[in-house]
Amino acid sequence: MNNEFGPRGRVASAADDADRAVLVLVAAGQLDALQELYDKYRVMAYSIALRITADASLAEDVVQDAFLGAWRNASRYVEDKGSVKTWLLSIVHHRAVDAVRRRRPTVELPEREDVPPAAMTLPDIWPEVAGNLDREDIAAALTSLSDVQREALELAYFGGLTQQEIAIQTGTPLGTVKSRVRLGLLAMRRALVGAGGDAASDTAGGDRSGDPGGGALA
Amino acid sequence: MNDEPMTHETARGLAAAYVLGALEPTEEAAVRAHLQTCAEPHDEFAELGGVVPYLVELPGLELVEPPASLRGRIMAAAAADLAERTATASPAPTAATPRLAEAPAAPAAPPSVVEPGTTVPFPSATEGTERTARRGASPLGWVARIAAVVAIVILGGWILVLQGQLSDARAYDRAVAAVIDAASKPGSQTVVLTPTKDSRGAGIAAVAPDGSVVMAMRDLPATAGTQVYEAWVIAAGSPAPVPVGSFTVGQAGTAAFTTTPVTTPPGSTIALSLEPGPGSTAPRGTIVATGVSALPKS
Repeated sequence: MNNEFGPRGRVASAADDADRAVLVLVAAGQLDALQELYDKYRVMAYSIALRITADASLAEDVVQDAFLGAWRNASRYVEDKGSVKTWLLSIVHHRAVDAVRRRRPTVELPEREDVPPAAMTLPDIWPEVAGNLDREDIAAALTSLSDVQREALELAYFGGLTQQEIAIQTGTPLGTVKSRVRLGLLAMRRALVGAGGDAASDTAGGDRSGDPGGGALA
Repeated sequence: MNDEPMTHETARGLAAAYVLGALEPTEEAAVRAHLQTCAEPHDEFAELGGVVPYLVELPGLELVEPPASLRGRIMAAAAADLAERTATASPAPTAATPRLAEAPAAPAAPPSVVEPGTTVPFPSATEGTERTARRGASPLGWVARIAAVVAIVILGGWILVLQGQLSDARAYDRAVAAVIDAASKPGSQTVVLTPTKDSRGAGIAAVAPDGSVVMAMRDLPATAGTQVYEAWVIAAGSPAPVPVGSFTVGQAGTAAFTTTPVTTPPGSTIALSLEPGPGSTAPRGTIVATGVSALPKS
């Protein structure tokens, strides 16, 4: 768990640095580096894709697309500061959601890039916080969600539904869905930052305005 | 998409849904356009975006190992992509490599640079794959397996190209094509040879139905004097290595070799040792590389 006096974030940075070193090699076109990345994250990647698509062969295609996307775009991402794992799994997530949406008629898909806009690069504090989190912390953060928040986030994340689709599926006004999604993520962030370390939560104090309890109003 | 640019406040209000990917396509495009052009801070995007990966821990995500063949598919596709990139005469594996070299904190060794105009010649390997796909009782299993082998092989060829040994790469390519050709015959087995501890030398081989082993080896230290590499088959269930032929290796470190046929059931070990001279009846020198023969998965 959290070590009060330990060098916070040290473990996270080491892990991130290792990933980053691998990513540099991927960017340089080294196939064995790609294989290393694949072997490290294949179970997570495939599990996410399978959960979202509920289709083993589509999930394989999604994972292949995602790793090829990473292979092609690594050089652009390597300059950013974000976590490689987060980047990779978010590519998987995006592609899986796209794959599910593509199966529905009349859906126009936006061109997504595999490199997040600069504004999406994770702040420096985040990896440090993240490195101190274990599964219990994350599970605890998830319990800080109200049931309706959790449902909305789950339908968006694993169901690949848009806010409008969530509103229709759950028979809830769109505005309510929007606030559940927003307050749910804010609540999780506060819980995660709190669990990850005090130093980090100082920096993140600005978030305290949106109280997660308020999310239950919906 | 939208002609009217999105205001900063509107974009901020959509941050949570944006990072979740829960916006309608047009809204999402508008937010993306805003993020690319607006100089104001967008902290909430990063702050909320950082939370999204943890949604993976929402109850109910079952961890599932992907099929083993997926790795081969991905590596073959990446190798093909790499060959294509290089073939289109880009001066480096990726256009961004120069930027990479400037990155101040790049923790790894600087990327190798390929000379302009260098191409990776693997047409025969590709043809082999296509041939294979049309043959055999279970083409899909074959494709996956051969694709995996081709990925490994292209990686090997790629390293040779990096070293500027283009003609060696071509010779190796022909050796690989011979292996793939042999492997595509019904009843053949494939072997991936990997170096033993503290040794160098890797490659692939196919065991033809008659028991002869067709090998493509690379990265072997050159032989000197009377030294030879001796190939051995240790048949599954038999303790005794049978010598099946020897060859010498030049500075390029590559070898194409077909052994004398011996009985080689699936699960047999194929080994290479560096012997002081030809004619050994039991390995005396160092075993440099080994692999186990296997029938393709169906």
